[in-house]
Amino acid sequence: MALGNMKHHSQKFAPPKLMITSMMDMFTIILIFLLFQFSEKPETIHLMERIDLPMSSAKMEHTENIKLILTQNGLHIGEDLIAQVNKGTIIGLDLQNPKASVLYQRLEQQFAKSAVESADAQPKNHILLLCDKRHSFKTINSIVKTAALAGYPNFQFGVLKE
Amino acid sequence: MTVFAKRSSRSEEDPELNMIPIMNIFLVIIPFLLTSVSFFHIKAISTSVPVLADSSPSMQKQPEIKITVIVEMQPEAMRLSAIADELSAEVLAGYEQRIKLEAAGVYPVRELTEYLQSLKRIYPASDTIILIPDNTVIYESIIQAMDAARNFNESPLFPNVVLSGSLG
Repeated sequence: MALGNMKHHSQKFAPPKLMITSMMDMFTIILIFLLFQFSEKPETIHLMERIDLPMSSAKMEHTENIKLILTQNGLHIGEDLIAQVNKGTIIGLDLQNPKASVLYQRLEQQFAKSAVESADAQPKNHILLLCDKRHSFKTINSIVKTAALAGYPNFQFGVLKE
Repeated sequence: MTVFAKRSSRSEEDPELNMIPIMNIFLVIIPFLLTSVSFFHIKAISTSVPVLADSSPSMQKQPEIKITVIVEMQPEAMRLSAIADELSAEVLAGYEQRIKLEAAGVYPVRELTEYLQSLKRIYPASDTIILIPDNTVIYESIIQAMDAARNFNESPLFPNVVLSGSLG
């Protein structure tokens, strides 16, 4: 009797089919989302703290530049922290003597380096400034003036697309 | 008759799609896209700071008058004025305006756009604006003023924005 039952069960057993339709739907949604977010040159910024960029209607893509990042607490060249910022004041940057600042020295080195590298071509003289939207013009102006003194009078302000 | 019935039931069976190659493609594409994805899109606004130049004034005649608009972002108001070599002081004085802030820290960018549009209609060759914010003006307000100055409804107004500190 028991054997008879077993036989009956084995005949009824069919391997379970994987429901692939829902997985395909999920993959399709992910694929479309990722395709919309695709960027040829994805921006990667490794910071220890948050930065709030202002929103803008600007459509221009930024070019390969020196990247200056000004957060609420620090000023970075690329990913290197070069100065602390305390209540909007950049520590070690005195506008009476900007040449003594680390920012000026680093930019001047970079300018000399890029001038040698691109002796026949136009050296890169743009700075991409990624600045927290809560900073005052006083703080930004001190960076802009120092950078202009080091040979970088042209800036690109990094903003978030609206 | 039974054979016919058997054949028709076979043809009614749903053909199964082979999904494995499609899944393989998805599994290759998705990691690739994940590495290239950017969740925030950074755009750029070009600007420059005034620099000393040793060039002498150009002797070439300008076919069209170019004016330069000066926007001073003061703590209580926005002061607008214009400069041009070709225009007299009386004409330029007519372009001076002072617009009060809508609220504390909220600059009247709509009025700024209207002012720039009116000047652009009269002097279409003009393209430069000098922005002079007060030390207390926050970066976000400067970007909003730059946006208002650059274009209106996709048509360019004053795309060359020069950022300067106040002289006083």
